[in-house]
Amino acid sequence: MEERVLVVDQQKCTGCRQCELVCSVYHTGSSNPSRSRIKVVKWEHAGIYLPLICNHCEKAYCLEVCPTKACHREPELNNRVVIDKKLCIGCKTCIMACPFSHPFFDIKEQVTVKCDYCDGDPQCVAFCYAKALFFTDADKIQMSKKREAANKFLESLKQIR
Amino acid sequence: MKHLRPQEHWGWIIAIYLYLAGMGAGSYIIGAIINWFIHPSRVVLIRGLALDPAKAALLWGPILVAIGAPFLVLDLGIKKRFLYACLNPRTSWVARGFLILSIFIVFGLILLAKSVLPFGWLHAESDLWYIPEVIAIAFAFGTAIYTGILLKATKSIPLWNTYLLPLLFLVSALSTGSMAIILSTLGTGLFSHDAGALEVLISGEQILVVIEGIVLYLYLSRRYRVSEQGKDSVRLLLFGKKKLIFWGGIVLLGFIFPFVLETIAAFSHGNVVLIFVSGLTLLCGGFFLRLGVLSAGIKEQIPMQRWTEFQYDLKAINTKDLPGN
Repeated sequence: MEERVLVVDQQKCTGCRQCELVCSVYHTGSSNPSRSRIKVVKWEHAGIYLPLICNHCEKAYCLEVCPTKACHREPELNNRVVIDKKLCIGCKTCIMACPFSHPFFDIKEQVTVKCDYCDGDPQCVAFCYAKALFFTDADKIQMSKKREAANKFLESLKQIR
Repeated sequence: MKHLRPQEHWGWIIAIYLYLAGMGAGSYIIGAIINWFIHPSRVVLIRGLALDPAKAALLWGPILVAIGAPFLVLDLGIKKRFLYACLNPRTSWVARGFLILSIFIVFGLILLAKSVLPFGWLHAESDLWYIPEVIAIAFAFGTAIYTGILLKATKSIPLWNTYLLPLLFLVSALSTGSMAIILSTLGTGLFSHDAGALEVLISGEQILVVIEGIVLYLYLSRRYRVSEQGKDSVRLLLFGKKKLIFWGGIVLLGFIFPFVLETIAAFSHGNVVLIFVSGLTLLCGGFFLRLGVLSAGIKEQIPMQRWTEFQYDLKAINTKDLPGN
């Protein structure tokens, strides 16, 4: 099965934080963005917004440092890295280890939570009206990045000429 | 100075855990070595039982570690699941630490009980006891170093990600541990100033304090140069919000007071009050060292955030919206 990944097009993000809202509703049942698994960083003075998501890293530090194996990989579900709430003790080691500041400590449940791709149908993608979030094949996104780099190279060549 | 935001997930509770684990392990290492080479003994009859409190004063380190361990449990989100913390020793240092501390506490307490209590049937003089003693000392070293490795394993905090941190915590563990032994035997006459034993112990203690100071200097100077966040962490500790912990708690209480008071005590025939006060300040300094290192840890900037700032040339950073802050 093709592996799919969550991708952000930062230039399209309007900073509406709808993704935070739907994420919290889907996972916690409450419309509380502070309990969301996606966070939007804002540079208000420049009008720039950057949704931060879990990268489900190939070499995931959160997975390595978890003392209980609550944080584990599921290769059959898009190779996602998820946290089993029943095993998590809330030691916060994964939060400290992640270079992307992703796992979050849920004050209400007293465990660490993170993006799980909403079991294959990410709600943040479904509700992002600006289309800044995609859930797409990993190979396709590699191709589009290469194409983008090639176009930039072509443009700079034109400028030189 | 720009607004610096350190991590807030691990605070004073973890600092107490690291401190007691380090001090307990250090005191056991020093106490066991003294016990091996000097064999101090003072048998006291209590209700017909011949007890040896001198051994208790030397080997009480595992009790300190056992008191410190629940502080880690106290910091957990779901405390009743604390036993799960040993399920992944293959890659997790928290799990490894759980096992290292548990083995040390078990072996240490058995040896303490054997040394203090009159269990004749245990054949306390048997050479076979060297095996658990060596295991206990090895795990005591493991415990003292582990407190630093636990933080070092957090690669995204440059202030912690260095081998100098386990070394610093090991030297601090030996320094606070030897002071715990001096304090626990102070006034009992077990190590008298006239016989020179106390003088040797205090000189050893002062050497450890000097080594600790050198390691601390090397640690901070290297961290200052390693990355922007490493530099920010050192600045936060030395000149920012945490400067009281550093200059008051670590430098004054942990280094200057003990060193000066111990030197004065050495010239005043081992003045018990001076040694006691210097001991207390040094122990406080040991705690503030852990607290300072913990509370000044600033995470590396998130790569996407750094890239965005670079792409749009964003000088002023609004960090309050960042996750983890």
